[in-house]
Amino acid sequence: MFLLDDLLVRPFTSVLTVIQALAVEEIYDREAIRNDLKENRLLFEMGDRSRAEYERRQEELRTQLDVAEQVHETLSGKIQVKQ
Amino acid sequence: MSEYLYAYGVIENEEMEATIDGVEGATTAYTIDHRTLSAVVSDIDAMDPEQTDENARAHDDVLQTIMFWEGGRTVVPMRFGMTFKNARPLKNILRSGRRAFTRALRDMDGMVELGVKLLVDEDATIDRDAVRESTTEQLAAASEQEAHNDLFSDRLVVNRSYLVDREEQAAFEAAVDAITDEYSDTVTVQYTGPWAPYNFVDIEISSQ
Repeated sequence: MFLLDDLLVRPFTSVLTVIQALAVEEIYDREAIRNDLKENRLLFEMGDRSRAEYERRQEELRTQLDVAEQVHETLSGKIQVKQ
Repeated sequence: MSEYLYAYGVIENEEMEATIDGVEGATTAYTIDHRTLSAVVSDIDAMDPEQTDENARAHDDVLQTIMFWEGGRTVVPMRFGMTFKNARPLKNILRSGRRAFTRALRDMDGMVELGVKLLVDEDATIDRDAVRESTTEQLAAASEQEAHNDLFSDRLVVNRSYLVDREEQAAFEAAVDAITDEYSDTVTVQYTGPWAPYNFVDIEISSQ
């Protein structure tokens, strides 16, 4: 069973909450991690990667992404306070 | 206890109730109406459902159920994770987005989204531009629109979504088969769908 790769990471039809755009330096490259997540799944779906390897790698990347998201949240919070 | 509403997509006004395997274990999908539109929802306990494969698949499964409901429905899909406190804010979204939803429903009428990815085999060398060009040509003839998606892996040569008339799906699949055969030595083709038209609907509604 395939999964649309962008379903979780891209806004298709979305309700846009108006948030002030903040220029936060990309210390943690969330986009790169998301790409790795998608590649991991694709290689698994294509039979190039075993389920065990796919799951191990996914867990690892999810953790990385969580950390990156937290860092970004913290950073943007700090900048907002200063404004 | 289910406090909130999780929205999957929007259809033309119709009362619908379906048994589903929904997001966060929901078992029933039903509709919330505003004038000419209906949003398909299920009850949910939390405002932010977890972004797991299981939930993503459930989101898509429900959209599939709607798409193939009694001979087929046109659905404008919501992105994953659209949760509402109750029916009121959801109706507000339907109201403020009514024109856009109505146009999208008209444009997507009778269409499905199909995905085509070409992945170059490990260690294989190909003329990527030539493959892209030839693929474009062969698939354009059998589709209404195409969307180019990210080449998120170095091994991806083509990653596209196609909007195809349901009646033309067999012709499109024949074109995909021809490409699969043509490059079988060096490239693996992944053909997916039908999906709800995620990549051909772009509606953003301000909630405030």
